[in-house]
Amino acid sequence: MVRLITHNLLACHAKGCTSNNFPLQFKDIQIELREAEFNPDFLRGFIPRIEWGALTDAARQLGDTSLPSEPPDMLDDDFLQKLHHVLLEIHVEEGAMVCPNCGHVYPISNGIPNMLLAEHEIG
Amino acid sequence: MPTAVTPVIVSDNPQIYEDAHVHAIYEEIAPHFSSTRYKPWPVIAQFLSSLPTGWIGLDSGTGNGKYLPLPLERPGSVWTIGLDRSRNLLGIARNAGGGEASREVVWGDVLGLPWRRGAFDYAISIATIHHLSTHARRKVAVQRIIESISPVHGRALIYVWAIEQDELSKRSIPSEQSDELNGQSKGQDVFVPWVLSQMSSKPKPSAKSSRTRSNGSGSTYQEEEAVSPSPEDNTTGTSEKPAVFNRYYHMFAQANELGLVIGSPHELRVESPDSKHIRNMTGIDIVQDGWERSNYYVEIRCWRK
Ligand SMILES: [Zn+2]
Repeated sequence: MVRLITHNLLACHAKGCTSNNFPLQFKDIQIELREAEFNPDFLRGFIPRIEWGALTDAARQLGDTSLPSEPPDMLDDDFLQKLHHVLLEIHVEEGAMVCPNCGHVYPISNGIPNMLLAEHEIG
Repeated sequence: MPTAVTPVIVSDNPQIYEDAHVHAIYEEIAPHFSSTRYKPWPVIAQFLSSLPTGWIGLDSGTGNGKYLPLPLERPGSVWTIGLDRSRNLLGIARNAGGGEASREVVWGDVLGLPWRRGAFDYAISIATIHHLSTHARRKVAVQRIIESISPVHGRALIYVWAIEQDELSKRSIPSEQSDELNGQSKGQDVFVPWVLSQMSSKPKPSAKSSRTRSNGSGSTYQEEEAVSPSPEDNTTGTSEKPAVFNRYYHMFAQANELGLVIGSPHELRVESPDSKHIRNMTGIDIVQDGWERSNYYVEIRCWRK
């Protein structure tokens, strides 16, 4: 799957591409929404690990503008529900992710991102 | 009936060798991995149960994803993302654990690093690194795991096959197994057969289908069993003769050999003491290592002070 929880971790690893290689940009994507179990304790613990700007940008690319530009101080249920939806309920099923630095294209098919490199692309 | 494990000598370019003797085989046998029922090995279950709520982790070489739903007593308290080289296994892993929940899986190589550095809090690599055919490549795989986890608090657990096999295991191990090199045992390269009985024109009842091995250690290794193919798998004709897929393994000689692929902290991290205070030193501790159910394991923890 490529949900935004995973997108927030992925970076380009093509040969020589070591800076400005995150976040990957979505291209020509199809998304599906599927409910997932809400776990507020997980989210509270996970928030400090998120690259927040990358998450809100990616959410916007997927048509979701519900998140504030900074995580709020008060982590109420309303906010956590929105975060839950953005991280775990939007599935990118088809399309690609493109490196902002070198332009390498990582295809997504049946919800699974292909991060393999050809032998000459391995750093 | 014991299944013979055959010593081999790795030839060819290691990438080509692993493509033929590891990756192609897993693509082929993927449908025969059962992912819905298993009993995790105690050390792995314990490790995953010990993680703080909110942590995110990498399962490097996730296979059928059997560890992705853990810890069972606190489901959803941590997120483990599965990485594997086999697209067919990932198709199974994405639904590991059954039910409605879907898992996050990524198609990639354990020698790559498709992540922000240090993005994960923890990593596991279970029964994967022994499929790499040179010491140098096994070492790179471990370095990638270490680069994936936080240099400040990251934790990792790595399992590999041991030459010392469980007495209940039905594998028979070649006798000239402990090559001594400067007093250090260096392990053994072997083929381990996966026997896939072909469907005849009239399928027989699957008396032997998908049993786990008899030592009750979980379902990671089913290669001793003759597994009945699923109906859609009848691609190779009507022969009665079982197909045998010889998978490459490096059987580690001792926990110490696994320690050797971890290397010394100086190889792994550049210490950066600032000029005024001796601070910001980083390192890696081995928390525990040992043998469990025919495998060696090592748990590491990164620290900074
Ligand atoms: Zn790039």
